[in-house]
Amino acid sequence: MKNFIGFIVVSLPLALSAQTYSVASIPDSLKKNADVVKRNEEITIEIKSPAKALINTRIAYTVLNEDGNEHGDYIAYYDKFVSVNSVSGTLYDQNGKEIKHVKKKDMQDFSGTGDENLITDARYKINRFYYRVYPYTVQYEEEDEINGIRNFEDWIPQNAHRMAVQQSKYVIIAPKNYMIRYKEFNFSQPPVITENGDKRTYTWQISNLPAKLTESLAPSFVTLTPHVLIAPSDFEAEGYAGNMSTWKNFGAFFYQLTKSRDALPDNVKKEVHELTDNLKTQKEKIAALYNYLQKNTRYVSIQFGIGGWQPFDATYVSTKKYGDCKALSNFMVALLKEAGIDGKYVIIRAGKNAQQIVSDFSESQFNHVICCVPLLKDTVWLECTDHELPAGYLSSFTADRWGLLVDQSGGTLVHTPKYGVNDNLQIRRISATLNGDGNLSAFINTNYKAEQQDELEMDLEYRSKDELLKKLKSEIDLPTYDVTKFDYKEQKNNIPPSIDESIELTANNYAQVSGKRLFINPNILNRSETKLKTEEERKYPIELRSEYKDVDTVEIKVPSGYQPEAFPADTKIESKFGKYFCSVKITADKILYYRYREQYSGEFPAADYTDLVNYYDKIYKSDRSKIVLVKKE
Amino acid sequence: MSPKKIACILACILLLQSYLSAQEKLNIKFGKITAADFDLSKNKIDSGAAAVIIADIGNTSFEGNSKGDFTLVFKRFKRIKILSKRGFDAASEEISLYNDGQNGEKLAEVKGSTFNLENGNIVETKLDDKSVFTDKVDKNYSDKKFTMPGVKEGSIVDIAYTIKSDYYNALRSWNFQGEYPCLWSEYEVVVPQFFHYIFLTQGDQHFFIDASKDVAANYTVRESGGTESDDVYHINSTATDRRWVMKDVPVLNDESFVTTLKNYVSRIQFQLHYIQFTETSERRDVLGNYFKASEKLMKDEDFGAALNNDNGWMNSEINSITAGSASSLEKMQKIYTYIRDHFTCTDHWGIYTKTSLKNVFKAKSGNIAEINLLLVAMLRHENIEADPVLLSTRDHGYTNDMYPLMYKFNYVICTAKDNNKNYLLDASWPKLGFNKLNDECYNGGARMINAEHPYIINLSPDSLKESKITSVMIINDEKGGGFLSGSYGSTFGNIESYNLREKISKKSEDDYFKNIKSYNPDYNIVNTSIDSLTQFEMPAKISYDFDFKIAADEDILYFNPMMSEGLKENPFKSAERKYPVEMPYIMDETYVFNMEIPNGYIVDELPKSAKVLLNGNDGYFEYLIVKNETNVQLRSRIKLNKANFNPDDYNTLRNFFADIVKKQSEQIVFKKKK
Repeated sequence: MKNFIGFIVVSLPLALSAQTYSVASIPDSLKKNADVVKRNEEITIEIKSPAKALINTRIAYTVLNEDGNEHGDYIAYYDKFVSVNSVSGTLYDQNGKEIKHVKKKDMQDFSGTGDENLITDARYKINRFYYRVYPYTVQYEEEDEINGIRNFEDWIPQNAHRMAVQQSKYVIIAPKNYMIRYKEFNFSQPPVITENGDKRTYTWQISNLPAKLTESLAPSFVTLTPHVLIAPSDFEAEGYAGNMSTWKNFGAFFYQLTKSRDALPDNVKKEVHELTDNLKTQKEKIAALYNYLQKNTRYVSIQFGIGGWQPFDATYVSTKKYGDCKALSNFMVALLKEAGIDGKYVIIRAGKNAQQIVSDFSESQFNHVICCVPLLKDTVWLECTDHELPAGYLSSFTADRWGLLVDQSGGTLVHTPKYGVNDNLQIRRISATLNGDGNLSAFINTNYKAEQQDELEMDLEYRSKDELLKKLKSEIDLPTYDVTKFDYKEQKNNIPPSIDESIELTANNYAQVSGKRLFINPNILNRSETKLKTEEERKYPIELRSEYKDVDTVEIKVPSGYQPEAFPADTKIESKFGKYFCSVKITADKILYYRYREQYSGEFPAADYTDLVNYYDKIYKSDRSKIVLVKKE
Repeated sequence: MSPKKIACILACILLLQSYLSAQEKLNIKFGKITAADFDLSKNKIDSGAAAVIIADIGNTSFEGNSKGDFTLVFKRFKRIKILSKRGFDAASEEISLYNDGQNGEKLAEVKGSTFNLENGNIVETKLDDKSVFTDKVDKNYSDKKFTMPGVKEGSIVDIAYTIKSDYYNALRSWNFQGEYPCLWSEYEVVVPQFFHYIFLTQGDQHFFIDASKDVAANYTVRESGGTESDDVYHINSTATDRRWVMKDVPVLNDESFVTTLKNYVSRIQFQLHYIQFTETSERRDVLGNYFKASEKLMKDEDFGAALNNDNGWMNSEINSITAGSASSLEKMQKIYTYIRDHFTCTDHWGIYTKTSLKNVFKAKSGNIAEINLLLVAMLRHENIEADPVLLSTRDHGYTNDMYPLMYKFNYVICTAKDNNKNYLLDASWPKLGFNKLNDECYNGGARMINAEHPYIINLSPDSLKESKITSVMIINDEKGGGFLSGSYGSTFGNIESYNLREKISKKSEDDYFKNIKSYNPDYNIVNTSIDSLTQFEMPAKISYDFDFKIAADEDILYFNPMMSEGLKENPFKSAERKYPVEMPYIMDETYVFNMEIPNGYIVDELPKSAKVLLNGNDGYFEYLIVKNETNVQLRSRIKLNKANFNPDDYNTLRNFFADIVKKQSEQIVFKKKK
């Protein structure tokens, strides 16, 4: 009898949850445009001390169709600071009837090291139900113990497009004297704060968010949805305590981690002096030491515990001749110090087109470290993981963004240089000859500068000559052709640097021959590929990320005995997105083609979208217009 | 026969006569290095090489262990010179070790040193033990990983390690060819004469040394006696010492239309054939033949054991699945469709099951073997003749038709018979039609697993025809004003149909046509439709109507009758070819075009009709264009008769496609009527 009562009591919440997860209870407004509905999410973080916390997560999704399947899977990450106390998952059919339940021991366990690292302590447990009868619902529960706090999970209820949210809640419980820091985006309600004894609880909640669709060239998805950044004030990991309430404090913490890790072995000290003592200017010394770093070290990533934030010391790098971005930057600072130069360690979020950090909210928004040397007039920036960049040039990997400069006075936000439309150049001259069969042979000289040389610079560093040729061939959009000669010269004396490329190629059937006519596209190599899809109703602003200028001058010698029958008129476009101009001139035996394009970056209102589509369409078409030559009779 | 018995018999064997042959040895030892070793200018090395393997020397031998059995001892020593920064990866090593809980592989010893020549002096930096990391990849695999310290351009790196393995069925294979050019690649195996292996070599590189000699070999095997003292056996035997060397091995480069480089890399692989202790003693066959292998697989709990059972657990469900079937073929189709539509394949790689078919049926998910063996079981349950078929997908390399080498297979399908017609079924892909296979399966010899008749089923790409027919019709639009309107229809081949279905499931049909529209901005595209999107046995068909405006005030109009369907670039870019061209299927593309001459214009010039034969009978390209008073008509067809071509035929093939690209780019010229 006792058992029977127990059974009822236990089964009641189950019955309730089953009802909750029936698909019938999802409002139609949330099914529209959705592949998945987040039914319920509850994240509860209880802060026990600056170093310890307990996190409970419960999350349920209803997957509506096969495009939503990825949300039916669950991954629990853990490492030295995070232990998974328990994790379980349940699968329900569309009526909310339980089909399967998995526990921690049923989940597969894998290394999280990945190819980009030699070794880390990251691991994960993963569950996939592989259920494919739609719709179905999954619910997962996880309890994690944190021993070593470096950040808190942010609250991003709607973290994917085509996902509706029925209900999401984020609760953080902290001792009364512990300051929780947060910043809300697209969300105006402040948290509900309650107090209970010596604890204070902050609660955010949201419900019924319809699914959103992505749009091309839109800002990153998360910035368009309601979310709250949440961060510690005092924190501690592996015995290192800090405070991140301000950038200054946060920087002081990193300074503590790097402090007294700059001792160099005697032989390296000796080399530093041999290299720099006879040089006159600071810049020459910096360049010499940077060159030494590039020749004597390589990038290897080993991350254990606090080692994710703390660099290996300079002696380690000296002997092993390797390190990650932190270790190599710290080593660079140590080399500079030995030469009497005050180099700085700068923490940054790297990545071409990476989203800018939220500069008024101090927390770890970074993934990379570089180095800089502030001089009287300007600052010399050094990317310590690259073997070829000249001192003073950062590339699009870290240009034009905020970084946290760390030194004895704490942390300061500093901005890296921006390379603009007049820096990022591609200047090309082509001199070509066409014969009566439509075959073309061409000499092509191109100068790539600043961000327009970045990819090529990496290729020159990482590809063999054969691989370079292969890539070159895959990028040239011509029917049948052969590159007979190619050569590169890197110009590193001026900042930003540039690369001269010279190519000789032959392209069979470049011009189409139809009977007595030749059809020739005078734009041999620089045809815009961008085509935007028309959108009926543009919702989000437009973000154009890259800024550049291309100038093409083409001269094609044509076979004798032909005269022009048709050729495109000049095209001139001036818009807020950029400038475009091209013209064709035909002389007795030559076609002269000129193309000029400036592309601007920036954020533009949604209303501009149609104009932008037209802008790209016009360029696309102009770049493909042909000249028709006809044989004289 | 137990290892104990082996040991007893062996103890009596006399040392057999051995001979020595004069062989060249490389005078090289770990850590012994001189300044002269840094100079490789005498060697022919590809100028683009980022690192060069000066020597890669492997050795596998046997030793008795304490489990009453033998252990394989694999030793490797590598000397590498780092030529440029791109070659730094050559200074890192990742050693993958397998362990099944009882038996396993162990890294017994590892050492490494980096040598730099600094001002004429050799500076050595040693690898420390702390820098050898263990990455536990999953339940069975662990990676031992390290990168050498002190490496820069010009460094020489010595790496040596030993792996001990309980799995003597899997004697380590050796790749003579790798990511970097290699000056000396050597492998030696010393096998006691009671173990007989077959050797499988492949690749186009020649052996510099391929030698064999008999050597004396002594083995000590111990077996725990529990509470009593251990049994110890001393075996004096003969071993065969085989040694292979290749010199100056170049890097294998990837080319397009190669199924996988695995088929071409120079390597040697081993398979235990049989164990026989003396000439008179019983021979224990390990490898067997396809008859024996099939028999064994069909009894294997992790493969076919359940197929012969009554499998009564599926009775009730299978009744409802096959209810209303008028024929056994219909039953077959219903069972296939049921599994395909209700089950998820978790892994398309492997030939063994991990759980029972009953569990698979309950979980509605399983790996490729589980899904298709369940299909076999369900068909057999309904008395339909069905057997499993093993195959190797194209990216996994060829199988061996002679020996039943199981590791050469990685995929399971089902063959079924009805009314004397054979069907090949794969229920693991949600959008695959009945009796259809993905092109990845067309890789030569598949093997039916049936103890009585383990037939080869030859799945040759030459038998996979991919036919596409596209037609375009254009007329002057009634509304005049230079408008023309038309219709477009394209019926895809099986593979393209399958790919389309996959694509549409990820992006909506709407998106698909949006994309077509964005690339034809001058065309107004309406009435879009896709036929047979969900009838997987049928070819998919795309169709739409369109209209567009010509510049009716121009004296001359140019129009490419291929529209956007012409081949725009030659699929064969490179001027040279080393390997055969292996296309996944036989291509057959037809394009039919019919256009009314725009009002007010006449045809001034048409492209010339042409027909190009490929190597006589290997295929052809035709381009037939005609005009009359009112219309222009074109028929273009690219038809190949085979999928695989020899390297010798490469240039012909490349020129053939160049001709197609050229012809299909030609334009019709219309001239205004005067």
